[in-house]
Amino acid sequence: MKKQLTVFAAVAVLTAALGADQAPAPAAARAAGHPDLSGTWLFSIDLPPTAIKREANGASTVKGIDASGRRTAAAVPGALPSTPEPSYKPELRAKVKDLFDHESRTDAVFYCGKPGVPRIGPPRRIVQLPNEMIFLYEDISGDPYRIIPTDGRSHSKDPNPSYYGHAVGRWEGNTLVVESVGFVEETWFGEGGYFHSDAMRVTERFWRSGENLAYQATVDDPKVLTAPWTMPARLIKPSTEPLEESPHCVEQDGKFLVNDDHHGQR
Amino acid sequence: MKRALLAGLLLLASFPASAHHSTTAEFDVTHRMTLAGTLTKVDWVNPHIVVFMTAKDGAWKFESNPPAWFRRVGVSRADFSKAIGQTVTVEGNRAKDGSQYGYLVKITYADGSSLELVPPGAAAP
Repeated sequence: MKKQLTVFAAVAVLTAALGADQAPAPAAARAAGHPDLSGTWLFSIDLPPTAIKREANGASTVKGIDASGRRTAAAVPGALPSTPEPSYKPELRAKVKDLFDHESRTDAVFYCGKPGVPRIGPPRRIVQLPNEMIFLYEDISGDPYRIIPTDGRSHSKDPNPSYYGHAVGRWEGNTLVVESVGFVEETWFGEGGYFHSDAMRVTERFWRSGENLAYQATVDDPKVLTAPWTMPARLIKPSTEPLEESPHCVEQDGKFLVNDDHHGQR
Repeated sequence: MKRALLAGLLLLASFPASAHHSTTAEFDVTHRMTLAGTLTKVDWVNPHIVVFMTAKDGAWKFESNPPAWFRRVGVSRADFSKAIGQTVTVEGNRAKDGSQYGYLVKITYADGSSLELVPPGAAAP
């Protein structure tokens, strides 16, 4: 009975502290004193821009997709200064161009490969816990997850290389900063043939901009870049569309390619 | 007239488009073929769904947009598989290497209903 009273009193105090006009936030986020990034966010992987036209019984409807999460936003409050492209060391620029010129054959993502970080972009769903963040993704290559501790720990010593890296997070004001290292070398960090080395370090920043999730990534790889590259920020709308298992990926186009056109030429 | 023709070609060339291989490296986007046959199978796979059919000259396969795209425009596998065993008409772009393979742009079912990929500008505001 005493225990029940104590719980009741604690709830009453917490309710009074919140104030009657404050929207309830998840307990974990509120307790930690950080912005609430949890939720389901718009699917932001590149999709064809086409729309579907349905005709039946003399009626016609057209429905398109919301590709806003894929595009870079013009001005996002809180974003770091960015540049459109990374700066490679002069002796490596020809390699980047060659990879890009032959992307239909050289980009592993075109062959069901994992995009890695940061190419996969922002997660579809974020679960925010007091000492860790859980990121859930939907991708053509499969549906990866990332569990990111935010309890102050540092990276593991010599993490095994992986596509999505070894991540730790921390809060800088209202921004969640996720640092990832320990990547395999076969991914690109952008569609322009942006290869990297095993020294790549990716810093992703997540913050709220109104109802949206703001996302911006910085790639640092001193073995291949002349300076860290911060890419333009993106704004991701909230979504009510539940996550769904991505179908198996079966690449079957490579054998039909007759030239090296890349998709920017369509 | 020449400008209108060029604009039409550009429009045609602008789709199908995806995050996958170049369309122009694989398909003849300047010509839209039409083929009638029996729908035999629908593979709901990434990176492109695949529709199988049997026509007068044998087996054909047509890929189309990714499953994630179809899901977001409200089309499911059932919208295709409902017609397995029935006659359908497919319009699309044939593989440049001459294979009996193409990119499905439109499918019309026996009851006259259809699904068609259209340029994004055709979407209602």
